[in-house]
Amino acid sequence: MDAPIAMKPLLVLLFLPAFGAGVIALLPARMAGLMRGMAVLVSLITLIVAIWVVIHFIGTNSDLQFLANYPWRSQLDNSFAFGVDGLSLPMVLLATLLAFVAILASGGVKEMAKGYYALLLLLETSMLGVFMAQDWSIFYIFWELTLLPLFFLINTFGGKQRNQAALNFVLYTMGGSVFMLIGLLLAYDASTPHTFLMNEMAIGTASLSGERQVLIFLGFLIGFGVKMPIFPLHGWLPLAHVEAPAPVSLLLSGALLKMGSYGLIRAAMMLPEAVVTLQVFLATLAMINVIYGGVLAWRQIDLKRMIAYSSVSHMGVVLLGIAALNLNGITGAMLQMVSHGLTAGALFLVIGLLYERTHTRDIRHYGSLTQVAPRFAFFVAAAFMASVGVPGTAGFMAELHVMIGSLQRWGWSAALLSVGMLVGAAYAVRTIGCLCTGPKHQGTEILIPMRRTELAAATILVMAIVVLGFLPAPLLGMMTASLDRFGDLFVNGL
Amino acid sequence: MGWVMVVPLLPWLAALWIGVGMLTGQRRGEAGERGTAWVALLAATGSLLGMLVVDGMAVHQGVMGHVVVFPWLSSGPLRVTISLLLDRPGLVMGTLVAFGALMTLKFAVNYMHREPGFHRFFAVLCLFAGGMTWIALSGNAVLTFVGWEVAGLSSYLLIAYADTRTTATTNATRAFVTNRFGDAGMVFGMAMVFLWTKGVEWPAIFQAAKPLGSLLTAVMVAGFLLAAVVKSAQIPFVAWISRALEGPTPSSAVFYGALMAHAGAFLVIRLEPLLVLAPFWMVILMLIGGLTALFASAVGRVQTDVKSVLIFSTQAQIGLIFFECGAGFFDFALWHLVAHTLWRFYQFLLSPSYIHLAPVRPSAGGVAKSPALYTLLLHRGWFDSVTDALITRPTLALARDVQIFDELVISRMSGRPMQESLLRHMVAGVEVSSLSGVTQGRGVLGRLLERVGMLFFWFEEHLVLRSSGDGLLKAMRFLGEYVTRIELLFGQPRYLYLMIMLTFLVIL
Repeated sequence: MDAPIAMKPLLVLLFLPAFGAGVIALLPARMAGLMRGMAVLVSLITLIVAIWVVIHFIGTNSDLQFLANYPWRSQLDNSFAFGVDGLSLPMVLLATLLAFVAILASGGVKEMAKGYYALLLLLETSMLGVFMAQDWSIFYIFWELTLLPLFFLINTFGGKQRNQAALNFVLYTMGGSVFMLIGLLLAYDASTPHTFLMNEMAIGTASLSGERQVLIFLGFLIGFGVKMPIFPLHGWLPLAHVEAPAPVSLLLSGALLKMGSYGLIRAAMMLPEAVVTLQVFLATLAMINVIYGGVLAWRQIDLKRMIAYSSVSHMGVVLLGIAALNLNGITGAMLQMVSHGLTAGALFLVIGLLYERTHTRDIRHYGSLTQVAPRFAFFVAAAFMASVGVPGTAGFMAELHVMIGSLQRWGWSAALLSVGMLVGAAYAVRTIGCLCTGPKHQGTEILIPMRRTELAAATILVMAIVVLGFLPAPLLGMMTASLDRFGDLFVNGL
Repeated sequence: MGWVMVVPLLPWLAALWIGVGMLTGQRRGEAGERGTAWVALLAATGSLLGMLVVDGMAVHQGVMGHVVVFPWLSSGPLRVTISLLLDRPGLVMGTLVAFGALMTLKFAVNYMHREPGFHRFFAVLCLFAGGMTWIALSGNAVLTFVGWEVAGLSSYLLIAYADTRTTATTNATRAFVTNRFGDAGMVFGMAMVFLWTKGVEWPAIFQAAKPLGSLLTAVMVAGFLLAAVVKSAQIPFVAWISRALEGPTPSSAVFYGALMAHAGAFLVIRLEPLLVLAPFWMVILMLIGGLTALFASAVGRVQTDVKSVLIFSTQAQIGLIFFECGAGFFDFALWHLVAHTLWRFYQFLLSPSYIHLAPVRPSAGGVAKSPALYTLLLHRGWFDSVTDALITRPTLALARDVQIFDELVISRMSGRPMQESLLRHMVAGVEVSSLSGVTQGRGVLGRLLERVGMLFFWFEEHLVLRSSGDGLLKAMRFLGEYVTRIELLFGQPRYLYLMIMLTFLVIL
């Protein structure tokens, strides 16, 4: 290839966190402060590189940009290919931002800091690998690679039931990825020429018969559906989110769930006919997700569990947007992915920090935060308002687009979505009320106020939510050409 | 010319700075007064200097006219830009506002010293100065409206400056609500303008209105005129301005004595190209202005406190300005506006000392001879009472009826607020430990949600979590034990032999 590796920004993005993890692993164990500083610095530089890529990205071009392509094994025709387009770049930015915020908010980790920060950075690398891979084999490798750091992070640093949660999480995802692998191999086998490159494979699979496409797509659906999660494959999620330490649940919910929906969009573009056939099925699943997750979130008294279920509900909105198969729907789905990443991140961050101080997640043990800890009260209220999708937050733009997209597709039956939103508002307002007002409770009447780094982390997230709510144009501009391509794929099909 | 944006934005930045300082606790009490005053004065000075530079350029090179800084919103055919209209009325008014704001702030530094709301006062005053500058300089109706609203809001905040006094807060609400009539008119005007001219930029509106004819133009102007009449407290909206005097003196000076009361007159001058197309409204303007001038100067004669005397005389003068506009002397009206504003500034700022300065109390003059007239004037024409009878009381009665309906029907359906006894328990610190407090629904929908929640919860617990979580692990463990057992068997020699024998058999 023409340019040296150092000149490929995507490779820098990919290997910088891994390099940081390596350096941290080599530091002596007593230098915990230095490790933390190192991790913050590395993730900050990664974020800056990601922003640089965003600035130099041309949103009106639907082709892959910043391509880095190295042939790997000629007999399989797979290659070490990375690139970004309008669908992956927002995810890359989200992942780097959330990784930075998560590391910033990890001030509470004192023991085994080396393992913790190294694993977090490794997780960042593998996430970025998933979002930037343009070759299904590489995609699959990075997909599996995310499990490793996450397993150890949950298993070592988690709560009481951490072992069960970690094992459960890995088993579920592995089980799902088996189906994904089968689908992938089927697609590889069926497409001519045999290749793993995403774009070229899509050309081959698009000409397959409808039934084959559906079969292959179902494999992908199960694989990605576990991660996303789609009802009824969400069994791992509540436990893993609850047991993981707060910064890890932030990443898990904010960025890792998006891998599922991102993969699903890629698969849908590869197998358009299958998606059209399964459209109603997908929409039904999405509606179940939205309402089922929302009602269960309302039913929880464990705060982290509640946010976990609200994630199920919000990812249902993403699925609905994808299933609408039109421009508005997919725009809403992408916006919702970004918005949910930020919102769920903010929620897990704030609740995690509260838990760190009080060691209780029971909603009934809190009260009167406005007087006890006004900053916490502000961020709790802001984050929950954002999760409702109040106008002026990113969630509003997303839900509006999904709503319009599904109205265009299914007419008034899409109004069911608003039932889900209503339930969402019910538990969000209920929680704000329980946490911020009412009498003070024993054990939570005195709280250490937020530290400066924690404040910075929460502020970054809330600011991002509000800025996107008022000014979504830059984000939309970044995605416009790729979204149009997705929309055009399905204009003729229906 | 985009830098002219600095003029209206500087005071807002100062307001933001002071406000953030107050929120974070940086600016409190007497110690922070110097900083607050310094920031506010700096912003006002910068704004005035900017204005003077623009004026100088205008004198030197001629007025710049309409300047578009950058596009702001676009939705369908609606395009709104951030734009400035730097023509003669705009520049004159803008300079006047910047000058007035600076003078008032300077005066207030000493006047408000050691007042509990020192910082709040300065923040709101800066907010107001920015809003007024937008009214003067904005290049389209939307931005004018933004300034208009900010001025209205800050006026509300300053009338209620003494927020512990009931009269102050009542009067603030009263003034604000009256002003909303004008705001509604402005929105109506903008909607009509957009409907017929497809634009909201002032020059485009003026251009497009010419071929429309006098009837359509009259409809378009009507809303704006209503806004102007309300803001300048002309008949029949005369009552609110005397209530507005509750605020501290410098704010009265800048709001009602000088700047804000003139905003209406300025809007009329700004609308000159439209008004000349609608002669009907010119006549009405003359009528309103003339009547207000007569009424206010008569009422002013029977007032017993200095601020009221001043405010009614202000009203009378603004009535005259409206009259002049109605007669078509817009340039003259602008001159009058400037002269009157400057004079009123001086008088209002001086008003606390008037009692010492004035040698004799002014007498009521001729109106004292007729008891009926005197009573009428003393009650300020009963405008307030008439408003009460016609609007306030019917609204209250309607609200009462709606509330009864709400309590009897809607509350029952939607779920009453938490029962009082339960609430008292919670406030007393007794924990309500059952699950009921949190996941219990109230009202029809709440009950439904509760039932559905129970159902889903059961499903989730029994089928999804147990079967997947525990069940999966149990199955794995079972399988593991099984495999281990087989593995153990294979470890024993006899099975190893058997395997080797079997292998040989297969090979042979």
